[in-house]
Amino acid sequence: MLLYILKRLLASVGTLLVVLAITFFLMNAVPGSPFITEKSTPEQIAAANAKYGLDKPLIVQFKNYLVSYCQGDLGVSLKMQEGTPVTDIMFHQGKFQLSIKLGLIALLVSVIIGIPLGCIAAYNRGSGLDGFLRVVTTVGVAIPGFVLATLLLVTFAVKLQWLPTISGSLDNVKAYIMPIISLSFYNTCYLAKLTRTSMLDAINQDYIRTARAKGVTTKSIVIKHALRNSLIPVITFLGPLIAGIITGSFVVESTFSIPGLGKYFVQSVLNRDYTVIMATTFVLSALVIFMNLVVDIAYKIVDPRITLSSRED
Amino acid sequence: MKEVFAKYSPFQVDPKELEEAFGLDENSFDSANESEKESMVEMHKSISYWADAWRRFKANHVSMVALGVFIVCMLFAFAGPKFVPYNYADQLRNAQKLGPMEYSKQEQQIKLIEGKCKAFYATALRPGSITALDKGNYVIKKGGKTYAFTLDQIWEDAVIMYMPSGIDAELIVVKMKDIVSDGSFITYDVVNYTDTAAEDAEELSLVKRVFPHVFGTDSSGRDSMVRTMFGARVSIIIGIIAALIVLIIGSIYGSISGLAGGTVDFIMMRIVELIYSIPEVLVVLLLQVVLKDPLQAWFDSSKNPFVKGLGDLGSGIVSIFITFALLYWVTMARIVRGQVLQLKKQEYVTAATALGASSRRIIKRHLLPNCVGQLVITTCLQIPSAIFLESFLSFLGMGVSAPMASLGSLCSDALQTISLFPYRLIFPAIILTIIVLSLNLVGDGLRDSLDPRLKK
Repeated sequence: MLLYILKRLLASVGTLLVVLAITFFLMNAVPGSPFITEKSTPEQIAAANAKYGLDKPLIVQFKNYLVSYCQGDLGVSLKMQEGTPVTDIMFHQGKFQLSIKLGLIALLVSVIIGIPLGCIAAYNRGSGLDGFLRVVTTVGVAIPGFVLATLLLVTFAVKLQWLPTISGSLDNVKAYIMPIISLSFYNTCYLAKLTRTSMLDAINQDYIRTARAKGVTTKSIVIKHALRNSLIPVITFLGPLIAGIITGSFVVESTFSIPGLGKYFVQSVLNRDYTVIMATTFVLSALVIFMNLVVDIAYKIVDPRITLSSRED
Repeated sequence: MKEVFAKYSPFQVDPKELEEAFGLDENSFDSANESEKESMVEMHKSISYWADAWRRFKANHVSMVALGVFIVCMLFAFAGPKFVPYNYADQLRNAQKLGPMEYSKQEQQIKLIEGKCKAFYATALRPGSITALDKGNYVIKKGGKTYAFTLDQIWEDAVIMYMPSGIDAELIVVKMKDIVSDGSFITYDVVNYTDTAAEDAEELSLVKRVFPHVFGTDSSGRDSMVRTMFGARVSIIIGIIAALIVLIIGSIYGSISGLAGGTVDFIMMRIVELIYSIPEVLVVLLLQVVLKDPLQAWFDSSKNPFVKGLGDLGSGIVSIFITFALLYWVTMARIVRGQVLQLKKQEYVTAATALGASSRRIIKRHLLPNCVGQLVITTCLQIPSAIFLESFLSFLGMGVSAPMASLGSLCSDALQTISLFPYRLIFPAIILTIIVLSLNLVGDGLRDSLDPRLKK
């Protein structure tokens, strides 16, 4: 087990390196530099390049990034907040915490609502409730996140004025409602669908029939026997789900004007703020890759039958 | 037959009674025809894989309805623009910001322009698409006389003009196709007369039937319905091409990996795992920005018609394809590999190998055709995910470039004016949802019918 975790950890570091390399070379493949403005002279650009080490060969620059990341230094912003260390922008200005808070709540909401809904649907298979849930979840996975976010915004904030239009830094409970719904709706629906399918699979197994024959109550069958086994495919989905919540946060943060990491990343890409792009990519991919690792290990714990070396879908 | 009965029956019963008693009729003793013979055969006629799958698919009402809805969406996207007299890029003057089912007064009325000669300009049926004739002076010949007039706008289908008082005041329509290259008319038809008093009128309220803007128009006066149709077309094309790219790369990669096995398989699967754990959205966003300028330069410089065609799609769309080719094929590769691992132990593969078939031939002739069910299902479910990705990118301001539209870019354009014109978001969003929903349901139906083992 320990060996497995170690191996996966090494592989994760490798993936992170590849992501950083891809990002770095893609970023530098674009002609131009972050310092070109309408007024700047070639001398100024050259001076700025020299100041931030952009005149060195690419491979040296890349090495410098890696070395400073190992030392916990994410560099300074080149353009958007020139000269400010990226760690300050991300952590002290609360961007990172904001995104993580939003993402974790959305994740919790999806799991807490989605999985029970799936169970309920599976246990009332063929009933009106099941039919209703099926329609809702099927439509739910076909609505793009930004459409839902905008519709919520227009209905509840602009027309009805129940909720604030700008969620800002999420300082009151009302501000959370719409971002969380928009972030978790798709995932809740998907989880409910997935749980229903795998639950139905589990219910038809022999051991459930045995438990029933022994006179175990329905409630205890669901919780002790069926749910445990039906959670395996659900756990596999958690990895993509976390990535999906980060993706969704790009949209939700710009719709509800939340100054989080997702919005910041999009802006940094559009502004070509190299260090910020690299730093946000580093943080976000480390997060996703780490969560994937956690999911893989959890997967192994839930189902010891899974072989350790490779994960098959 | 009666004679037969009469001849052989020992009891000399009335054949009529026999017929009634045994439910026989006159033809009962004829030799069996082909269909009767066939009904006696116990074996069913062998049904091909596709016919069988289609039979199962037809039994699935939800998927059939979804397929019907998707076909309607395809018609809306591909045939729709032919029935609407507007174009997705045309900006109609005085027709900006119209609501659903509205049209502007200017579109409805025929206008009198003061000048040397009074000429009416027809309501544009398809304004702006003809540029062959410039503004300028034209002459018209009627009854041996020549009348000069000025045109300051040219419509494709017709010019309606009001003749000067030299002859009877009348409205004439001149078909645009009857204008010869030097700019003079050769024939015209008289369609309407007005009285001379109308000569002084600023505007003649000749009301014309106008095709309404069913979904309204946007802030530049472009017809929203046509734009939605084109957007749906672009989105569907993106989805299908991206899915095909995934299909090609994923199936080749997966089957090579599965068939080769051993170290090759190990390395290829590590690469897949690596790509699988890359947070793709970060890379997608970067690719969008990075590829924009180089692709545009490539499109502009190339003379290859294929490249030119790609250029018409725009660099945003092409980089979406590149993204799919780089990152999204891994799921397909895993699925195909799994199938190939099962299939390659089958006897026919061993037989093919023994007969000296190359790996390439085995993959092409034996392995891939046998996982066609999985290939179709995965490809079908890839389409909505590509459409989603494109709309997501368009929302963030990347994706297709104007005046081209996709459903995603239409939605994101609508966001700026969302509180004033909510319907601008609602129409493309509904179409987008319907397309994705129907494709998801068709995909589910395909899974149940092509691969019954997976049926839940």
